Amino acid sequence: MIAAMKNCLFHQFWRRVLLLFAGMFVVAGCALPPDPSDSGAVTEFLQINDPLEPTNRTVFEINRNLDAAILKPAATVYRTAPEFVQARVNNILSNLRSPVIFGNDVLQGELKRAAVTFIRFFLNSTIGIGGLNDMATALGIEGHDEDFGQTLAVWGVPEGPFLMLPLFGPSNPRDAAGMVVDFMVDPLRLWASSSDRSYISYARTGIDAVDLRARNMDVLDGVENSSLDFYAAIRSLYRQRRIDAISNGQGAATIPAPSMGELPDGPLLSGAEQLSRR
Amino acid sequence: MLNRRGLTTALGRFVSWTRRDLLSLALAGGMVMALMTAPVRADKLEDGAAGFIKSVAETAINSLATKDTDRHERIRRFRVMFNDNFAVRSIGKFVLGRYWRQASDTEKAEYLKLFEDLMVISYVDRFAEYAGESLMVEKARSESENTATVFSTIERPGGAKPIRVNWRVGTNGTIYKILDVVVEGTSMSNTLRSDFSSIVRRNGGQVSGLIDELRAKTTALKAE
Repeated sequence: MIAAMKNCLFHQFWRRVLLLFAGMFVVAGCALPPDPSDSGAVTEFLQINDPLEPTNRTVFEINRNLDAAILKPAATVYRTAPEFVQARVNNILSNLRSPVIFGNDVLQGELKRAAVTFIRFFLNSTIGIGGLNDMATALGIEGHDEDFGQTLAVWGVPEGPFLMLPLFGPSNPRDAAGMVVDFMVDPLRLWASSSDRSYISYARTGIDAVDLRARNMDVLDGVENSSLDFYAAIRSLYRQRRIDAISNGQGAATIPAPSMGELPDGPLLSGAEQLSRR
Repeated sequence: MLNRRGLTTALGRFVSWTRRDLLSLALAGGMVMALMTAPVRADKLEDGAAGFIKSVAETAINSLATKDTDRHERIRRFRVMFNDNFAVRSIGKFVLGRYWRQASDTEKAEYLKLFEDLMVISYVDRFAEYAGESLMVEKARSESENTATVFSTIERPGGAKPIRVNWRVGTNGTIYKILDVVVEGTSMSNTLRSDFSSIVRRNGGQVSGLIDELRAKTTALKAE
């Protein structure tokens, strides 16, 4: 009886959450496109590629509140654990991701990287004792990450407009679809759900979230601290990280950068001299 | 592969040189010479840029790494270093993007001052980590005739994967300045540009709105 009530309450909670998010899409709606005669504004609007910006910002605020209430405190506590322990947890989680990374390496035609992932998984699962120790890196075989969103990008699928997903954070249709596919084909999840041990999947997802949040604590705090528009900064950073990940870190030359055209405006003064001129 | 007819035509061309032909030959020769000398200059640019980043790291170690110096003094030192080694005006202009042109001269001056302030206060603690003892310059690549990218990594304790930091460096031939810092594929200049232009847009396209928010931010950060 109590169990049934609990179950009912649980369902009600999730129905409310879903209704809340659905309602937001109706209420908040879309960003208004700029005046078509203002070409600079139109170019900018297309570049930002965030037609759902008002909705995305609302979701971002909800995510931030959830983070402040649950994830950040959990990650803060986790960070008090000895570094040795944190590294072991991260090793296990990374090793569990290996099969999905391997699949994506193959699908991207990166057979060398696939071999690296395979060897790493073999070494770390055996002499690394179930992934507890990253023996492969110690032997000079360094790991990398891949996901199906990146595979779709390699296949030429465009990212689509920016999306702020409830709970999962910054994304886009391509990466969101990729995330679902990676989740569906994950061997551990398949095994757990087929053998009635779904709690293993939940626990792993939870620990994964805390580990990820803990490792990005300083970076995120720094961005939040120094940015004027945290949402816009996160949107930009997410896209840049994805471009970097898709090119496997080879995209440095394509990033637009300030030019040296402005140098004649007093470059021959030293910093101290410039300051004393104030 | 030339067939017989093609060969005769080519020979025919060879014997009947015109002045224009000679001129284009001379031009082509000149271009080959230019191409042969270009790599040497690129080498010089790359070496210069890499050496510059190494010296910036050295300065950072000497003047910023000392944690016992009080924050006020560290900010003062970093402000000098920032202006010495970064193309502050170029970056500031790039970050404001298309709104730079519509800003008045007073707004530009005010904006640049606040921009420099924000950079100094928010990077004073982080910069010593980026350009500290664990910075390893790996290679440099010229991107244009006066800019180069210096690739470096930052070693981390406990065997964690090193962080990739790329420095976009520009030169006018004598001095070098940092134009951008790209950490793990994320560019400081581009992130700031998205951030700031969003603020201008949300203030009805007015740069004055950005200036107000910058002033509030720097004041708040200084009070910490």
